[in-house]
Amino acid sequence: MMESGKGKSARVKNETVGEEKKINVNKSEEKKRKDTNKVWDFFCSVKLAVIIILVMAVACVLGTFIVQGRSFEEYTARYGYGLATVVRITQLNNVFYSHWFSLLLVLLCANLICCTIRRWRNTFLQTGFVLTHLSLVLILLGGVIKFQMGVKGGVNVYIGKSVDYFLTQKIDSMGRTDYVKKLLPFTIALDNFILEKNEPKFQLVTYVKDKDKQKILEVKVGKRQRIPGSDYKVVINDYVSDAELRQEPVNESDRPDNPAVFIKLLGSERTVAEGWLLAHANNYHDEKKQDLRLEYIWLPSQQEFDNAVTTVQNVDAKITASVPALGVLQDYSLELNKTFKLSGSEYSLRILEYVLNYGDKRPVSEQPANNPAVHVEIEGPDGVEKRWIFESFPDWDKMHPLKYENLKISCSGIAKAHMTRNVIRVYQAPGGNQQLVHIKDNQIVETMPWELNKQYSFANNDHQLIIASYFPSFNIKQDVVKKSDQVGTPAIHVRIDGPRGKKEEWLFANNKYATWYKDNNFAVLYESTGESIKHYVSDLRIVKNNQTIIEKSIRVNDPLKYNGYAIYQSSYDPEKLSYSGLQIVKDPGIPVAYAGFAALCVGVVFIFYVKPFLRKKLKKENEVAENEYS
Amino acid sequence: MSIVNLTLIVYVLAAIAYIVREIWMSVPAKWTSLGLLILAFCFNLTLVLKRSIEAGHPPFSNLYESLIFYACCTAFVYIIFEFVYDFRVVGALASVLAMLILLYATLQDDTIRPIMPALKSNWMLVHVITYMLGYAAFGIAFVTSIIYLVVKPFSKKQGDIKSGGSGKEMSVRNFDKLSYKIVAFGFPFLTLGMVTGAVWAKKAWGDYWSWDPKETWSLITWLAYLAYLHTPLVLPKMKVSKSKMAVILSFWLLVCFGIVNFTFVGLNYLPSAEDSAHVYGAK
Ligand code: HEM
Repeated sequence: MMESGKGKSARVKNETVGEEKKINVNKSEEKKRKDTNKVWDFFCSVKLAVIIILVMAVACVLGTFIVQGRSFEEYTARYGYGLATVVRITQLNNVFYSHWFSLLLVLLCANLICCTIRRWRNTFLQTGFVLTHLSLVLILLGGVIKFQMGVKGGVNVYIGKSVDYFLTQKIDSMGRTDYVKKLLPFTIALDNFILEKNEPKFQLVTYVKDKDKQKILEVKVGKRQRIPGSDYKVVINDYVSDAELRQEPVNESDRPDNPAVFIKLLGSERTVAEGWLLAHANNYHDEKKQDLRLEYIWLPSQQEFDNAVTTVQNVDAKITASVPALGVLQDYSLELNKTFKLSGSEYSLRILEYVLNYGDKRPVSEQPANNPAVHVEIEGPDGVEKRWIFESFPDWDKMHPLKYENLKISCSGIAKAHMTRNVIRVYQAPGGNQQLVHIKDNQIVETMPWELNKQYSFANNDHQLIIASYFPSFNIKQDVVKKSDQVGTPAIHVRIDGPRGKKEEWLFANNKYATWYKDNNFAVLYESTGESIKHYVSDLRIVKNNQTIIEKSIRVNDPLKYNGYAIYQSSYDPEKLSYSGLQIVKDPGIPVAYAGFAALCVGVVFIFYVKPFLRKKLKKENEVAENEYS
Repeated sequence: MSIVNLTLIVYVLAAIAYIVREIWMSVPAKWTSLGLLILAFCFNLTLVLKRSIEAGHPPFSNLYESLIFYACCTAFVYIIFEFVYDFRVVGALASVLAMLILLYATLQDDTIRPIMPALKSNWMLVHVITYMLGYAAFGIAFVTSIIYLVVKPFSKKQGDIKSGGSGKEMSVRNFDKLSYKIVAFGFPFLTLGMVTGAVWAKKAWGDYWSWDPKETWSLITWLAYLAYLHTPLVLPKMKVSKSKMAVILSFWLLVCFGIVNFTFVGLNYLPSAEDSAHVYGAK
């Protein structure tokens, strides 16, 4: 088009239909004719074209910035009553179907037709111009036919059932939606509906708390992945497609730093209870029905041992703090608001309060001893941490992020108020001293030395006790085993590097909880992305007068067409898959609009590729004859 | 080093080489800069192909994939143009543009997700490829317009014309015409993209046009460039001087490219985006 300026003189000469000449001829004619000419000129002008194009563009912008087709109440809530009224009156709530937008399209058509008529010349070079401009008229015409004669709606069909109608939406000027039932000239039967899903996929989601940024990492073994905008790095060391976590108690050494015994309590016929008792953690077991309590007590010196086995020394309410990595461990009696220093470490502790039933609002004296807990304040190198310690859940902190992860605190004896009548204490001290003490109503009834794997019975009690193993340095070894080659519950072993060194851990896809890095600022979660839909298919049958006319399996992108109607797969029953959602469209304007599309494509390609090419050729030929233009 | 980083670096090197070439105007500089850009393009293309092999579908299903492809197209269209016109500094900015697009891609979520059923269509393939080629051309027209607007106030009325009539070498003073030619190259692609998009929408959603925000904004883009293409026929009749018209048109192209980018990545900010079936990331 811009070349047109350059080539104008040539064209006027060649084609001799210049506008200027036309106007010159008309000069002598009547005024009336002149006025009609002005109108005609106006409708032919590119100025009008550019104005219409720009106004349409602005209308489109408004039509997306103002949410369309909502109720008047919603506009009032969004913009206030005054503006909402303006929106309604100017039809800005329904821009693309408004009267003024239609008027704009009519003007556009008029402009296109007029300018095409005026410029009509029977030359090949004009093909593109005519095609593009008339194609737009065709497309708009197709749109008008769609609007006037087309219908679009939807219907849900249940499997094995059929329908002979569908519902269309109507929105009134107030933005209220109404459904109108439209009858079909045939019936649609749904024989079957199939939903196919993709294999579940798994992903490693990471999260940086202080940046509030989530990033999904590739699950690729051995690849070191940096988390953008942070100092964390993640490597996946191992992947197991179907993993199971096996936990096995092991003895780490002969040093009694975490003594534990495996105890079996036998009834007359069977084992009543068995399990590990840890001196420094859950060191007792209550057998409620028998009113019996088993306790395992480790005493660090001979003197304490002698004392303990001869006098009834109730297990005092106490907390035990330890830093296993440093080998320090210390007990403190439950004194409120006194600061204790854990010697050999950088920590000091203070007990803020204790309760017998965590979460209970009543005063401590009225609480049942269901869930005793102590609230501890820890002061350490990185400031203060407050932590609840639960007597019955010594492993609580393993599952929850802590500031000072290497500091273990447990408590015991708080439930003392609720004392059992029968207590059997398993005492042990270094040097092979080990003694069983049976206490009844706070009196020692009997004492006896014990050995591994021997049965002991007690007065007035028909239970027998076996101490099956003793681990001076008890630990739990976690092992991940592969159950099968299929994808079951996959697990990955990740290593996180960050400002506080490395952390390695197994992540299981079925674990809903994220794993936190030591600084509590970075978390990783290995999870399934959920099953995504591959495709869904409805087996449809068109029936007329009890005769099947067409059968087709439709899916998204592949509709069924019959009698001017097109039936599309659009949705389905997400819960029970009992119905299929069909979209039903009838648009007699399609051939017209598509003819317009084709003409438009050919036209633009002609104007911008073919025509310049032909021009160049022509120009070269002409250049020889006349050297008129640069 | 990952392919992405490698591509980014080679784009930067190409941009530097183009600047060097602008200063020294030597033949080796010319081939070095073009060679580097072609290398960057090849890396970028590898990235696109690798991605589509890994994902198992054509790489247009999310914003990340579209952006790496867009960067690739930008380099490609520029390279084509460089064989036709003597482009001078345009190459530097075109490389930077491709680099920025790729950089923006790296900020996106690059998780491979299964492709939704509606996207499995050959129409969609043609649709995206033609659109991206059109957008790429508009990106380069944007660059030439910027150069024109920046250089124009400093250039003298006459002189500095290198064109020896071959039509290949071009002075920056004529960059407004160059922009026009590039838009004229891109516009048919945009039109084809829109039409194939409509045909695809008809197949997948039952209607070739439903005034969805994405559709509406691609129409706005189209109208903006259409206005650009018709304006040179209007302004002379309104007694606007040629040089003023050139400035107006170049400025309008900057706005147009803004609209392109909004259509491409900005629609999430629209209040109507939540209703759209086509906006990346909605739903
Ligand atoms: C794909 C869309 C379109 C293309 C490719 C296109 C292309 C063209 C071309 C090549 C010319 C001729 C310029 C010349 O050689 O002098 C032209 C002129 C014109 N176009 Fe378009 N056009 C398009 C859409 C429209 C639309 C939508 C309108 C109006 C609403 C319009 C109105 C005009 C007018 C009024 C002229 C001036 C005709 C004259 O000089 O007498 N065009 N257009």
